[in-house]
Amino acid sequence: MKPSVKSLLLGSACAAAVLGLAPNAHAWSLQQAAAPYKGETVTVVGLDRPSYKAAQKLTPEFEKETGIHVKWVTYPYENSLKAETLNFVSHSGQFDAILSDVVWPVDFTKAHWVVPIKDFMANKDLADPNIDVKDFFPVWRHAFTIKGQLVGLPFDSYAGLLYYNKKILKEHGFSGPPKTWNQLLTDYAPKLYDPAKNLYPYALQSARGETQTADSFTRFLWPWGGRYFDAATKKITLDSPDAIAGETFRQKLIKFGPKGIIADDHSQVVQLMGQGQLAMVTEWSAFYTTLTTSKAGPDIGVTTEPAGPKGQYSAFGGFAYMVSAQVPKKVQDATWLFIQWLTSKSMAKPLLENGAVVARASADTNPALQAKYPYLAPMVKTWEHGSVPDWRPQIACYPYFSELVSQYGSDIETGQYTVPAGLKKLSAKLQHYMNSTGCWNSVNVPKH
Amino acid sequence: MTRHKLLSLGHGLFLAFIALIIIFPFYWMIASSLKTENQIFQLPPVWLFKPHFASYAAAIVNDHILRALLNSLIVTVGAVALGVAVGAPAAYGLARYTFRGSSQIQFWYVTNWMLIPVVVLIPFYLLAANLRLIDNPITLILIYQTFVVPLVVWLLVDQFRAVPIALEEAALLDGMSKFGIFLRITLPLTVPGITVAAILAGIFAWNDLLYAFILSPGTDARTAPTVMMSYLGGYIIPWGRVMASAVMITGPVVIGGIAIHKYIARGLTLGAVK
Amino acid sequence: MTEPTLHEVKVPRIRQWEPWFFVGPSLLLLLAVGLYPTVFVAYFSFHNWTMGMGPPVFNGVDNYIETLTSSDFISSILRTFLFLIVTLPIELCLGLAIALALDQTRNAWLRRLVQILLVVPIATTPSVVGMLVQLMFNTQLGVVNYGLHVLGIAPVDWLGNAHAALGMVMMTQIWEWTPFVALVLSASLATVPQDIEEAITLETESFWARFRYIKLPFLRPGLVASIVFQTIFTIKTFDMIYSVEKGGPGDATQMIALHIERIAFRGFDVGLASAESVLTLIVTIALAQTVVSFLYKDEV
Repeated sequence: MKPSVKSLLLGSACAAAVLGLAPNAHAWSLQQAAAPYKGETVTVVGLDRPSYKAAQKLTPEFEKETGIHVKWVTYPYENSLKAETLNFVSHSGQFDAILSDVVWPVDFTKAHWVVPIKDFMANKDLADPNIDVKDFFPVWRHAFTIKGQLVGLPFDSYAGLLYYNKKILKEHGFSGPPKTWNQLLTDYAPKLYDPAKNLYPYALQSARGETQTADSFTRFLWPWGGRYFDAATKKITLDSPDAIAGETFRQKLIKFGPKGIIADDHSQVVQLMGQGQLAMVTEWSAFYTTLTTSKAGPDIGVTTEPAGPKGQYSAFGGFAYMVSAQVPKKVQDATWLFIQWLTSKSMAKPLLENGAVVARASADTNPALQAKYPYLAPMVKTWEHGSVPDWRPQIACYPYFSELVSQYGSDIETGQYTVPAGLKKLSAKLQHYMNSTGCWNSVNVPKH
Repeated sequence: MTRHKLLSLGHGLFLAFIALIIIFPFYWMIASSLKTENQIFQLPPVWLFKPHFASYAAAIVNDHILRALLNSLIVTVGAVALGVAVGAPAAYGLARYTFRGSSQIQFWYVTNWMLIPVVVLIPFYLLAANLRLIDNPITLILIYQTFVVPLVVWLLVDQFRAVPIALEEAALLDGMSKFGIFLRITLPLTVPGITVAAILAGIFAWNDLLYAFILSPGTDARTAPTVMMSYLGGYIIPWGRVMASAVMITGPVVIGGIAIHKYIARGLTLGAVK
Repeated sequence: MTEPTLHEVKVPRIRQWEPWFFVGPSLLLLLAVGLYPTVFVAYFSFHNWTMGMGPPVFNGVDNYIETLTSSDFISSILRTFLFLIVTLPIELCLGLAIALALDQTRNAWLRRLVQILLVVPIATTPSVVGMLVQLMFNTQLGVVNYGLHVLGIAPVDWLGNAHAALGMVMMTQIWEWTPFVALVLSASLATVPQDIEEAITLETESFWARFRYIKLPFLRPGLVASIVFQTIFTIKTFDMIYSVEKGGPGDATQMIALHIERIAFRGFDVGLASAESVLTLIVTIALAQTVVSFLYKDEV
């Protein structure tokens, strides 16, 4: 009997199916990996920012696939570290997925509050073979690598960008945004300064707190060659000529800004930019949607931050998820599955499309997505060439260190101290703090 | 006669000025909550506009302000009930007896009130966390006693002193117990004073931010003032929503305060009765 | 009749437990929630403990030395006193003026309106007040500078200038608490017996004489209470200033409560924060004790 073509085809299709299925039975799937954790609840710390809104929106997909419940708790940024630290110190086990700012991992790791990622990566039942850690931009991996160990998976990742109002620039004879800070100050600022018409060339968000430290003070440190400290000699170097030059530049620049800027946070400068009262502003990539949907939205362009005399060092900030070491093993595993899913390659695109910013190269360099979201190209450029992982110091005592920087940074900005005098005072204060707390031993020097 | 008129005019102007100063920020809050985000910052200010309730809807949906108001209500009522239950007898004890250390004790109540919240927060947090009482209203109800009890005691000592002693002596002769006298004779006579003490203590409990945002920070457990802080997240401040929440948070307290304003005049004598 | 009157100074032996029956529960409660944490704070104050950097280690009086030699602590304390000595007299004078104005017979409905409105600032949640201040005093877009502009006055950089910012929080504090003083003093004025008031009105036309000899003695307890309460409220001030600018710009509005919060919950240095807390508590109690004993000296 000659087999008919039909049955032959059918037979081979069956064989192919069997052959295809066999390896699949041993391949990793989220559903199977999660089976032992069905019914567990994972508590995740989030912020009131777009990336977390996107994540919360997509979370039901994870719950449906795994049967693991995810409970989001949302804090204002300023309170999240407080809540997490108190949670750890009191062993109260309130949170399972720990959110770490790029400046907290040393603190969390040194205190053994979080589980090293390698523990999960080594577990074949839990580790997704497609996790592709290398797909996270190097600057992000280095920022969360403490003593050679990756401690968190990046999520909600920002680069400082220069947003500019094309229409205003054009009206004043500029064909594009400035390439360097010096150009911005000497060529652009005088021509765009018109307080009577409520027009300012540039505004610098400087509110007391992390905004002053990161967005205002540090922004004018690195591009002029200034550094916070020299870890090898355990010396604070904020009174160096380079640091003085940078902060002096800041004082010159804010003269062209609106009054009261020193008290302003992101919200106010974004508001001013959105109202068309500013020609330029340096802000996080996460503000792209907010700015482009404002009144001045259609005119807003985006590029990399200007370079300083000593090169381009744009603002660098963002977060990563870690697993709490203080909750039961079973919950830790379930938590890992959630953060692995959330930061995975395949989630990057849907997250992006829902307003999140992610550090996955596969998504951020995708030409279709880059065409749709113009902020992606300058963000990628910044992460690849224009910033460093320890743009802000990576030390265990960062929170108070930053408080001191913020206090003296704004005292300098208000003119209470001259730049050299203020930096000298700040250096002495930081030196004393670092010496007396023994914090020097915790300095993490990441790869650049 | 002209002098009289002039005085009357000055008096009227002064009061009108005070009324304006008090009412304007409040008006600004309500107006901003009903404006669109662009109208809020428009200068000169838009005085006439079509009220826009989207901010309220957003505050209710996005910020779960109703849940926070309920949490605040539970904590406030609980704290005031406990505070009055232990504070009123204490005030009676201090008003009616002079005993060794009584004046020191009276001062010690006030000392508790002087505690700057941050001072006791860390140990209190660690204790509450060990007992798994973070985000639990009981924690706030207990810590609020540090100001509710002193306030209640201070306000009520006077009130009890004002009750004629003869009434109590008569009841004593009838064979009533001391506690029975306090409960059935003296307490009912001081209800207006107790109401004032309760409302004032309630205002302080409702308004507290620092204890609440450390001890009860969870999304489902936070109280109304903590929601206010959550707008300072370092991202953008949605002013319309902020002001809508502000109106909903202050509304109940202001109405409560206005409702008892007549009693306040009698209840706030604070040591005038000796 | 052998039964003693209730407020007999010498309580008979057998009834010595009686006052404690009334006072006891509240004392126990306050010991638990107030004293217990305070004792722990005192304990931590002799230890070096930064959260996340190991367990507490005894370090003697190091934290106290650090505190007393730190310009931040001293300047926060001094700033708090400055805040107090500027706002308190204004609150007292303005509060007294309002109370006296309310005690008149003219302009009945305005008086009634103000009487009702006085409750509003007291009831308004301080963190709401802070947010409202941030909105209204915004240099570019705020209504206050717009008002000044209408009056032909140059805009003030309320939130960015150190002096203006301190002035702004002082004004806000006065806005919030003057009505409280006014209400307390109104209550005191209400205790002036009607017949005395009428009699003196026939005697003299002089407002000053009526005020000095009749009203002031009755106002005294209210003034004392206002001073004590306002001292407490002012030293404790946190919520409003925190929600305006977190003590900024720089440290221009950093009062002692904000300073300690910063060390405790931003620096997580529990030892240092505890030492500062203990010192602050001592200063506060000493201050209140002085005020009370000075003002109540012939009464309590």
